[in-house]
Amino acid sequence: MAVWKKTAITIVLLAVCALLYGIYLYTRKPADVRVQTPVAEMTAAALVGDFSADETAAGKKYIDHAIVVKGKIAEIKTDTNGEATVILESGDPLSSVTCSFYDDEMSSVQKLKVGQEVSIKGICTGKLADVILNKCSIED
Amino acid sequence: MMYRLFLVASILLLAVSGFAQKRYFTKTGVVSFEASTPLETIDPVNKSAMSVFDATSGQIEFAVLIKGFEFKKALMQEHFNENYMESGKYPKSTFKGTIENMQTVNLQKDGNYPVRAKGVLEIHGVKKQVSVPGTFTVAGQTVRSTAQFNVLLSDYGISIPGVVKDKISKNAKVTVNCSYTPIK
Repeated sequence: MAVWKKTAITIVLLAVCALLYGIYLYTRKPADVRVQTPVAEMTAAALVGDFSADETAAGKKYIDHAIVVKGKIAEIKTDTNGEATVILESGDPLSSVTCSFYDDEMSSVQKLKVGQEVSIKGICTGKLADVILNKCSIED
Repeated sequence: MMYRLFLVASILLLAVSGFAQKRYFTKTGVVSFEASTPLETIDPVNKSAMSVFDATSGQIEFAVLIKGFEFKKALMQEHFNENYMESGKYPKSTFKGTIENMQTVNLQKDGNYPVRAKGVLEIHGVKKQVSVPGTFTVAGQTVRSTAQFNVLLSDYGISIPGVVKDKISKNAKVTVNCSYTPIK
């Protein structure tokens, strides 16, 4: 085969690969946090403590990462729109851990009881008054 | 006699105002926005907005974490955080203001009350004075606030590069939906 033919085929193949990769990047769905390996596991008290001690350092460590937080349920909120949130006690009256669940985790959240100890996996998005976890699910 | 009456009246007034000085709070407010164009649907949601309002003074505050907006496409969420909102630098967005017509809202009586909030909206580190119409819905102990308003991206120094310009609306329609309970 002539060299120019080989070159042409290579270029076309590369272009197709680039296009497919582009489409993949463009249509990629956000990662399912439920199947991710957490970077850290800790109690709600330790997580809030870390953020209170040094918000920047804690942010670097936890924000955008999947973590598992263990704690006692202070409040369960389920909205008719399908939103389910669990608030974990941290021992600090001014700051807890707010965990916003995946919509399809509603049924498992409804089985929980206030006061119960639970482990929740989610993506840490930062701290307002509470440290907030997104895309949560219950860890067994 | 007059003096006594005055005393009783002031004690009563104090008691009533003490009782009325009630604050309402939520950690699970829903803030979403829409910046869709015919080419692309952009409608992320944040389900962990914090908000508090004072039933007497009408002071109201909202705060939301930028990283808490959930998009349907991963790439959009990355661009939103890294390029447009720079959420590493400006992690939250807030509104601090007052409900101008708080006295027209009767929190003891179920119903819908049109309200107007005036104050400072901070997005992407830029603060701007805004006035936003909304509704308070009283149902027993809970109060729901809803509001919808437009945010012009250029007002807050958010620039969209030319390549994706036609895919993102220059105006974001923000929707707020919070369900408050009184602070005990």
